Amino acid sequence: MGMISRLIRRTHMYFALFLVPWMLMYAVSTMTMNHRSEGAAARWEKEREETYTGTFPSGATPRVMARQILISLGMDGAHAARGPSPDGKITIFRNEPIAQRRLTFSPADGKLLVEREVFRASAFLERFHRRRGFEHPYALADAWAFSVDLAIFAMVFWVASGLWMWWEMRPTRGWGALTLALGLGLFTLFLVTI
Amino acid sequence: MSFHLVVRRTHLYLAMFLLSWFLMYAVSSVPFSHAERFNRGPAPRTVRLDRPYELAVPESGDLRAVGAQLLREAGLQGAHGVYRPNPKQLNVYRFDFWASSEINYFQDQKRLRVLDYQRPWHQFLTGMHARGGFQQETFLNDAWAVLVDLVQMGILFWIASGIYMWWKIPQVRGWGWLALGGGAASAVVFLVGL
Repeated sequence: MGMISRLIRRTHMYFALFLVPWMLMYAVSTMTMNHRSEGAAARWEKEREETYTGTFPSGATPRVMARQILISLGMDGAHAARGPSPDGKITIFRNEPIAQRRLTFSPADGKLLVEREVFRASAFLERFHRRRGFEHPYALADAWAFSVDLAIFAMVFWVASGLWMWWEMRPTRGWGALTLALGLGLFTLFLVTI
Repeated sequence: MSFHLVVRRTHLYLAMFLLSWFLMYAVSSVPFSHAERFNRGPAPRTVRLDRPYELAVPESGDLRAVGAQLLREAGLQGAHGVYRPNPKQLNVYRFDFWASSEINYFQDQKRLRVLDYQRPWHQFLTGMHARGGFQQETFLNDAWAVLVDLVQMGILFWIASGIYMWWKIPQVRGWGWLALGGGAASAVVFLVGL
């Protein structure tokens, strides 16, 4: 086995071993989404209710208020802010992987309701599957987005290195070409018909 | 043929057959992961049809039958989704890998409108990536959903067979443990820290 061939084989394997948790999560979550039915809405349970006593800079947007509230509660991290609603409330969704939290803040009386989403395995998997991008100002969120890019790169590398390794094994060329052509033909059929 | 060889050959031929799907999922993940570079606002659309039309729409329940009726009226067929953006309007979203159209039925105005979207090229990829489920009525759409499941089962098999093949090479166990452990530890950090 040549040095390049050995390097390709080892990289193929070590990449795969490192990314086992990612590929496992993507596979299981995709199956869950492929078989999901409509109407499974999130359920929330109350964690606590308190009065928020902090003050906001004048003209603070919901996003600024959301960040300040999360920091003061020790819950800072990737989140989305909505509102104000017609009754003036601001809703903050703190995107935690296992179970996200919803905070509803009423500026009129300072009431702050903190709720936790009741755990559902399918929602947890789907949330992890959809998590990506560099839009949040948090190092760990960026690190996750980078790991998603790494998984994408690895998938392309596995395809290329897999073809290399197949071509090196002469006895498998015939059946390999047949299965490759069958798959490609079926994929093309779907591409033009559905 | 030994068990070891069966595992190796199945790992290879399954990968060759599913290569098109695996590569598609990798490449189509890029526009999702870097949405800010791809999104250029709403896709341009042209009005194909806009005319008076009257149809009885049930208040609740399954709207797919009504959606199919609207599709026929618009001269369209194939995969679609039906939804209500508001109580006075019913939308049917018709899609394939290459194009998409939207039918709007305005109940209060008794009016039918059909819009054709000029999708940017990357939506060809993201559309394939997101396509799945068994909600459509045609055999080929169900067959695509079965293939989506098969790809995920393939990934699970590659994980299991990859770990088996790694374990069968004693000289790579040390670095393999490091890669496997490093990946698992990183995943745990993301799980609890994000």
